[in-house]
This record gives sequence, C-alpha cells and structure tokens, in this order.
Amino acid sequence: MPKVAKLIDTSTCIGCKACEAACQEWNDNGFAVGTFQGSYQTAKDLDHDFWNLIKFNEIERAPDEITWNMAKYQCMHCIDAGCMTACPAPGAIFRLDSGIVDFDHDKCIGCGYCITGCPFDIPKLSPVTQKVYKCTLCSDRTEAGLEPACVKACPTSCLTFGTRGDLVQIAGARAEELREDGHQSAGVYNPAGVGGTHVLYVLKDADDPQSYGLPANPRVPWTVSFWKGPLKWIGNIALAGGVLGTVWHYLRFGPSDVRPASVAAADEVDRGPA
Amino acid sequence: MAPPEPRVERFSLEERAVHWLVAACFLYAALTGLSLWSPSLYWLAGVLGGGETVRWGHPWGGVLFAAALGWMFRNWARQMRLDRDDREWLRNARAYAVHSDTGLPEAGRFNAGQKVLFWAQAAATVLLLASGAALWFPATSPRWLLESSVLVHPVAALVSLGGIIVHVYMGTAGVPGAFRSMVRGWVTPAWAAFHHPKWFRQVSKR
Repeated sequence: MPKVAKLIDTSTCIGCKACEAACQEWNDNGFAVGTFQGSYQTAKDLDHDFWNLIKFNEIERAPDEITWNMAKYQCMHCIDAGCMTACPAPGAIFRLDSGIVDFDHDKCIGCGYCITGCPFDIPKLSPVTQKVYKCTLCSDRTEAGLEPACVKACPTSCLTFGTRGDLVQIAGARAEELREDGHQSAGVYNPAGVGGTHVLYVLKDADDPQSYGLPANPRVPWTVSFWKGPLKWIGNIALAGGVLGTVWHYLRFGPSDVRPASVAAADEVDRGPA
Repeated sequence: MAPPEPRVERFSLEERAVHWLVAACFLYAALTGLSLWSPSLYWLAGVLGGGETVRWGHPWGGVLFAAALGWMFRNWARQMRLDRDDREWLRNARAYAVHSDTGLPEAGRFNAGQKVLFWAQAAATVLLLASGAALWFPATSPRWLLESSVLVHPVAALVSLGGIIVHVYMGTAGVPGAFRSMVRGWVTPAWAAFHHPKWFRQVSKR
C-alpha cells in the first residue's frame, strides 16, 4: 500500500473553516460553543473533541500592513512519531500501512505520555473518558478509498490528499511557482527533525514557520527518546545486575553470621557486671 | 521444651507497622510503575487489573507510599544522621561486604549502609513525588516540566529500586536474624552485639 499524505497549500487558504466543520461532522465531535478569544480563530487550541484548527496568525510585516498567515493545524502523522515512542500500552497507538498514526481507544489508558512525546502538542486528554484523542487523517475514510473530510470540504483546493511521493513533488512545484511570483522565501514544510511528516505544508514564509504557528525545528523531546532508548537498557541491565549481584554475593561470601566472639560478649553483658 | 531465647527489642510495633506499610505501598507502586516503564513489561498491568486501573492506581499508590515514608521519616530521621564513625564505615564498606570487618567502626542502632539507604530513598521519593505530580496531570502540566519529569521519574525509580534490591537481600538471606527483627521486633543479644555493638551497649546499660 502506498504511503498517503495531505498537502496544505497555505497560500490558498481563505480561512473559511469548512475543514473544521467537516472534521467535527464526520468524526461526530459535535459543535460546542466556545468563548471569544479576541480573534477570528475558532478556539485557542485543539481539544479532545476538536482535532482541526485553522490558526489565524496575524503578522505585522510593516506598520499598518497586516497579513494572515493562516495554517490548518492538526496531527502531522510524523514518520518518527513521538507519541508512539512514548506510549506504554502496546497497540494503543499504531501506524497503518499508509503511514497514518492512529489511536485505539480500547487500549489507551490515558497516561498522557503521548502528550509529552509530541513536539506539535496535538494529542488532547478528554476529562470525561480519560483517553487521548487527535486527528486520524480520517483513517476510516481513507482506508475505504475516500479522501479525508477536511479535504473533501475545502473549496479552494488548498487541501490535497494523495500518495506522499506525489504530494512532495506537487508541493515542491507549488513552492517554486510561488518563488517565481515573487515570494522569495516560499518553500515546503516537511520537518526532517521528525523524519518528515504525512501532512505537508507549502508556506510563503517557509523561513519562518513559527509565523504560521508551526514549530521551527520539531523533534521528539530528547528526554523521551533517551528514556525509551538507552535508559531502558541501562535500567534493565542495572536491575537484573542488582538481583544477580546479590545472588552472587550470597554464593561467594555467604550470609553475615554472628561470630562466637559476639556471642561471648553478649553472654558477659547478660550476666551483668559483678 | 527449650528455654526461651533471650531477647533484645529492636523495632517497636509502630516501627514495624510503618515499615511494612511503606513496603506494601512500594511494592504496588514499583510493580505498576514497571508495567508502564516499558511496553515489554505491560503484561504486568494485566495482572494488576488492566492498564486503566494501573494508570489510576499508580499515582495514588505513590502518594500513599510517600505519606507512609514521611511517617517513617518522622520515626527515624534523627537516628539516621551520619556521624564521624559512619563516614569511616563507608570508606571501609568493602570490608563489610566481604565479611572481613577490618577497620570498620562499630555500628550504632543503624549502620552507615542502612543510613545511606534511608537518605537515598528519601531523596528519590521527593523526586518521584515532584515528577510524578507533573506526569499525573499531563493536560495541565507545563511542557518543560513534563519533558524533564519523564526522565527524572524513571531515574529516581531506578535508584530507589536498586537500593531496595540490596535492602531486601540484606534483610533476608544476607543477614540471618534481620528479617525476624522486622517481623517479630526482637533480636538475640549476640546478634545485637555482633551487628550493632554500639547500640547493644546502650540498650544493655538500661
């Protein structure tokens, strides 16, 4: 099965939020009324029941010259997925052959290690079910040959779904086109720090992903990689070594038995001073 | 019937009860913790009631452990202070391990090894409690705290587990009579004179 991907061409995003609505609808997440945050943005951040957010990043390049660096934010389906690295419950986070990173909520125990492992701050814990939720790249649609709900709803063809190989090429070509149009720093966001992602962006300001609310150089936190890598082995060897060490000590030196001198000394005290 | 052995009281009922409460909490926190330490040990979670139960029970078990250890701390912290003899003892700890005992100062109620274990457990527990509190609430803890806690928590747990492996060995097979002292509360005069001579002189003076 070919690897799939979603391409987000931010240069053609108009902030209509059709993708947000389609995501809520398809995933049956309902429509909660939030509070006004002083922005056109639907909510401040993703949530356990809100997996797709268009960030309305207001950028002031020059006085009185404000642009919206809009970027749809959701799970990036990383190739080196920090959530999977951190997860202690086998099978709770799994990868489909298509590359999609998905959660099995019957196996999720709600520990939230994936929240720590994710450099994009995507998975969110539900206070109700005590389980973690995020975008599935509509695996229930894509596995049946359909495109994700957000892509289906997008009216400007800002969103494209296809094989990852194709989309990497299309993204590169589109960035080239933008550069020819005068957007000098246009480029593709496919961060190497997490081995690349199954969600790709074309950014006009690719030299400044943070202006889109995207981390500049996302990586799985080194503490998570160290814990699940070397520390696990150091710890296992140390614990097994400790147990074997005590066995060895007993065989080599035996127990610390009371010696006759102490028995005599104790007898003396027992009898008491004359 | 053999005459009853002469007895020296080593641990009071309260000391023993607290010790075994700490031990039970430790065992639960350690086993549930190990089940989350690595996916290859996750089967432990199944034995302990399933992953969700473990995720709920581990932090509460840890809080109970810390509280019980706090009680133990109140009982023993003063007696666990290391003196000049203890530092000398630690420099010659090798002699103790190989039963040669040359150059080892006489031990008081607790020897320097026991004291070091006590302080190591206390320090590890402070770290476990602080990092554990952050990991308990991943949705609200700040990122830097979560990222450091996923490292601090297992490292402190390894120190704690390592200490307990040695402690369990010393308290059972390694030092005959030690286990009975923590269960029944008493030792023989000869045991006291051999393992804790300074303490033995103190208690036999009374």
